[in-house]
Amino acid sequence: MRDRYPEPGEMTVRKLVELLGGRLLLSSSTGEDGYSRAVTSPDINRPGLALTGYTHRFLYDRIQIFGETEITFLTSLDTEGRTRALANIFQFPVYCSVVTKGLEPPAELAAAAHDRDCALFRSPRDTTPLIHDLTGYLSEVFAPRKSVHGTLVDVFGVGLLVTGRSAIGKSEAVLGLVERGHRLVADDIVRIRRTGDLLLGTGDTLMGYHMEIRGLGMVNVPALYGIRSIKDRQQVDMEVRLVDWSQRPDFDRTGLDKTTTTYLGIKIPQVVLPVLPGRNLALLLEVAAMNFLLTSRGVDVPAALDKRLIERMQDSGV
Amino acid sequence: MFQQNVTVPNRLGVHARPAALIVKKASAFKSEIGIAAGGEEVNGKSIMGVMTLAAGQGTELLVTASGPDEQRAVEELCALIGSGFGED
Repeated sequence: MRDRYPEPGEMTVRKLVELLGGRLLLSSSTGEDGYSRAVTSPDINRPGLALTGYTHRFLYDRIQIFGETEITFLTSLDTEGRTRALANIFQFPVYCSVVTKGLEPPAELAAAAHDRDCALFRSPRDTTPLIHDLTGYLSEVFAPRKSVHGTLVDVFGVGLLVTGRSAIGKSEAVLGLVERGHRLVADDIVRIRRTGDLLLGTGDTLMGYHMEIRGLGMVNVPALYGIRSIKDRQQVDMEVRLVDWSQRPDFDRTGLDKTTTTYLGIKIPQVVLPVLPGRNLALLLEVAAMNFLLTSRGVDVPAALDKRLIERMQDSGV
Repeated sequence: MFQQNVTVPNRLGVHARPAALIVKKASAFKSEIGIAAGGEEVNGKSIMGVMTLAAGQGTELLVTASGPDEQRAVEELCALIGSGFGED
């Protein structure tokens, strides 16, 4: 599996059990009730207030967490009171509930869940850490994402997203990088996901680590270059956009102008690299990555050179 | 061949940004372009060359071009340098 996170639309209760049941120590109290229902939000809800009857703004589309507060409240009521309290929330299409801390779900809760095709799980884990793990995972699943036409490669630990029109030489350039010991993450289609302030890129699970090299057809990168030539996931640190030399006569000649590009609301540096036959693109991409490392450590080469030049001119007293 | 003198008017002189503007302008012409200061001539299409001149405020530059568009090249480059590159 390249990316262990399913698409948001694939996220069902069954998938949740499959992917997270082990970590959350979930065991179902109602068989496979509710397993086919969709998980539609990365957030959870504590239904305490709704159980008491205040159902205004009840967040029924979230996974409901029954912690010690909810369970002790329910057990403080008599059977009729519990049924009434639970009816407050099960009048909504609740699809998944988790009872934490190894607490025993009251019989009325199991019955109401079963009646409404709602999954009901128990977990011995404490409430807060369980919520952190659950929402942490689900927020990755529901993270904003997009597919980009380009190639993602790890060069000295820097995630370079190489873009440009078809047939401009992205794959050949990246093959050159792989040959120099760098690692291919994705070719042609790069799936980018935003987690926090970071962009994470992976490839397509079907295409694996194949690349199309015009004239040679499909090549299998790890079969040719070994396991060290590939990587599952990589942070996208900068974009290098390959352009035709003729199309961009006014590209930056100093490196003083820092351009950026935005993916999923995150700004990353962008370098526009004009392509000319005979240019060693792999070498240039390596330098771009090293320049990124220098810049991210506060070294701005063009600015330093400019400063030195200005000082020289002022010293000479012209 | 066509040539003309121009004085650098801006306070910071021909530092990196003005140098980039000069080579960008020069590269748009077919002619060979040279820029000289104090007897040293550099290629007007080379950023490193133009920066090497270290032409501060008040420096007199000799812009030379030879080729099909030499006169226009020299005139436009002198106009650019004379304008102070939009700096003070």
